[in-house]
Amino acid sequence: MWGRDVAGLRLTFHLAGINNQNFLMRDEQTGSYWQQISGKAVSGPLKGSQLPFVHSDELNFGTWQSEEPQGTVLQDAAPYRSGYALKDWDVRMQRAPTVIDFHEHGLKGRDVMLGIQAFGASRAFPYDQVIREKLVQDRVGAEPVLLVVGADGQSVRAFRDRIPGVQGAPDFYRMPANQPGTPGALLMDAATGGEWNFQGCALSGRSKGFCLEPVEAIKDYWFDWRNFNPSTTVYGKK
Amino acid sequence: MANMTGELQRSRRRSVAVMLSCVALSLVCVVYPFYVIWPFRAQGARELAIALVVMQFRSAATLISVAAALAALVFYWRAQPRRWRRAFATAGAAFVCVLAALARVNIYELMFHPDDRPSFAAASGMKLDKDEKVIAVKIGGAARAYPVRNISYHHVINDLLDKVAIVATY
Repeated sequence: MWGRDVAGLRLTFHLAGINNQNFLMRDEQTGSYWQQISGKAVSGPLKGSQLPFVHSDELNFGTWQSEEPQGTVLQDAAPYRSGYALKDWDVRMQRAPTVIDFHEHGLKGRDVMLGIQAFGASRAFPYDQVIREKLVQDRVGAEPVLLVVGADGQSVRAFRDRIPGVQGAPDFYRMPANQPGTPGALLMDAATGGEWNFQGCALSGRSKGFCLEPVEAIKDYWFDWRNFNPSTTVYGKK
Repeated sequence: MANMTGELQRSRRRSVAVMLSCVALSLVCVVYPFYVIWPFRAQGARELAIALVVMQFRSAATLISVAAALAALVFYWRAQPRRWRRAFATAGAAFVCVLAALARVNIYELMFHPDDRPSFAAASGMKLDKDEKVIAVKIGGAARAYPVRNISYHHVINDLLDKVAIVATY
């Protein structure tokens, strides 16, 4: 997700083309073309400009609704409702062909990855593996990161694994489902013994009230992630 | 008399050359980007860059082409007495006009059905399944969710959240 204010202009975007199955947007104001995955202008008067990054998460509706009961939701546009995807759209898309492929790490083009581009590096995490492991502690570049699967078993958030006053990257572990604790607690950290929720906020312990820095983890197909992140490394693969 | 005939022949040839150039230029402006950006083929970096530059300038280029084709048609009519040849030249100029109109349409902007006036409802009132995927964003105190089955159709939603202009993409 991107901000629309660039170079003193408020831009309005339209889907205007495809670049190896990642789409291009055209802005009405200057006619420049922008790559969706990078938010960078690739052609036109604003070529080389970068849209401001806006953090977002891909979550299950139930999880999001419980966190944000006052939030608002995009409504269907009535004329197009019949064309909308079914709930298992991502599963169906895994059967769709790709126009490019990268036969690396034993991955298939449509394998779903969680891609992190941060701290001067790119790293992809196989989505199914993250879901299985439920909690991943790893590094992107030199920075420790944490990938956490929500209580719904499908939503994933990523955080920078740093707590003020704690040396290095604190170890986290997942609280067993039947363990009594603060409502909403999902993790505990070994450094302070504090409980943490899925939003990355400490619910107890000396860090109570502190929230881990969120890191964008883009859900993307391997072929697309690899195409726009040629130097990416892959979690669990050498 | 011989000089006049020669001058008419030269005028016809020049008009035909201009007309053919206009047809060729307009065809390139319309067909080349369409071919390169076709979703079911791989795009090379260089060809894509050229196609986007063509798209950038094709409105102006095809307008100039229309003007040149119409001028060539006038000269051709003056120099060419045969009706069927005049009709052929007229069809050529008309084709250039049609291509100029097509150059003003981006087929991909129509194909993916933009949602130009997105509307929003309170989360509490939405009848979505709990396991339906949404793209969630929070700015200041305002939280918004974009259901994937919706945004995967429109792909681009221009939005304003807590006075911040954003574009949600999928």
